[in-house]
Amino acid sequence: MIQLKTMLNCIDNSGAALVECVNVLKKKRPATIGDRIVVVVQKQRSFGPSDSSGSGIANKVRRGDIRHAVVVRVKKEMQRADGSLVKFEDNACVLVHKSGDPIGTRLNGVVGAELRGKRWSKILSLAPMHV
Amino acid sequence: MAAFSPMLRQLGCVRSSLRTRELVQPQIARRALSTVYSARPQPTPLPEKLPEAFLSQLPQRLRPDQEPKKLKIYPPPPSTRAVCRDPIATLTTSQLSVLDPTSERKKLFDYRRNPRSVKVGDILRVTFKNGDPFSGVCLSIRLRGIDTSFLLRNELTRTAVEMSVKLFSPNVKSVEIVERTATRKRRARLYYMRQRKHDVRSVEGTVWHYLRQKTSVTGQVSGGRKKKN
Repeated sequence: MIQLKTMLNCIDNSGAALVECVNVLKKKRPATIGDRIVVVVQKQRSFGPSDSSGSGIANKVRRGDIRHAVVVRVKKEMQRADGSLVKFEDNACVLVHKSGDPIGTRLNGVVGAELRGKRWSKILSLAPMHV
Repeated sequence: MAAFSPMLRQLGCVRSSLRTRELVQPQIARRALSTVYSARPQPTPLPEKLPEAFLSQLPQRLRPDQEPKKLKIYPPPPSTRAVCRDPIATLTTSQLSVLDPTSERKKLFDYRRNPRSVKVGDILRVTFKNGDPFSGVCLSIRLRGIDTSFLLRNELTRTAVEMSVKLFSPNVKSVEIVERTATRKRRARLYYMRQRKHDVRSVEGTVWHYLRQKTSVTGQVSGGRKKKN
């Protein structure tokens, strides 16, 4: 149930920590796992003490950036084809380019297996595990 | 002018009295009419064996060949209730005989009757025919015949995940009890374990130990990817 103003955790190393949903794409209903949304970066992740000077890891996005993202975890339970339900503790997303490639290179955290059916195999391969 | 005035008044009186008589007369006559009683005219019966030539003179409804049509009465459709008294119960038993022929799973989760069954608070591990196995603390068991399901909660990569699994789903390969709850839980649904204070967090360590013991006893690696966190 991701809609306008929903705050999501960003679980990749693109530099965003907390993002806010501003639009759900290709859908008139709230977004769920595997849906593409437009977000605004609200909080940046700080990599160590030297965050402003480029020391290896640079934030690829900054606060206030408008980016596309893919929802990977939702609090609202999702029903699978065999009737089982899966729900997560938080709402989380992964930032992507407009082409659909993920901006970050690493994900930290479990993602929903519903991504498989929606052709987000790049995100699935980056994720440490999927449920 | 004053001398004429009584004359005029008198004339006016005569005219008015005449007018009333005119009015009263017809009323009396009408009353007389209504009091006269006459029997209601009886309908003249149709003559027996009327020649066919005269039938055309009769009104349509009185002609012998114009009788009202007989309505066709259809029998009610066969009752489905008579065929199957309780279709849901029949379906449940027939489906259970297909999906759980030995009724092993049903007994495993029938916590009301079977004392050796799974209880809430137990740590369970479910393996699926497609996909990775999932393990977690059983928060609730929902006994609903063929719809029986149980809710597992675990923490993967520091994110709590809950999964409700249908017990008789053909996708479920096996359900194992990893660890029984130490004390009997006093509630049927342990939703309070979602609170930070009561949360058991990750059960992956317990499951890992169980799997290691299992492989050492049986000497074979159980199916599915092992998860460690």
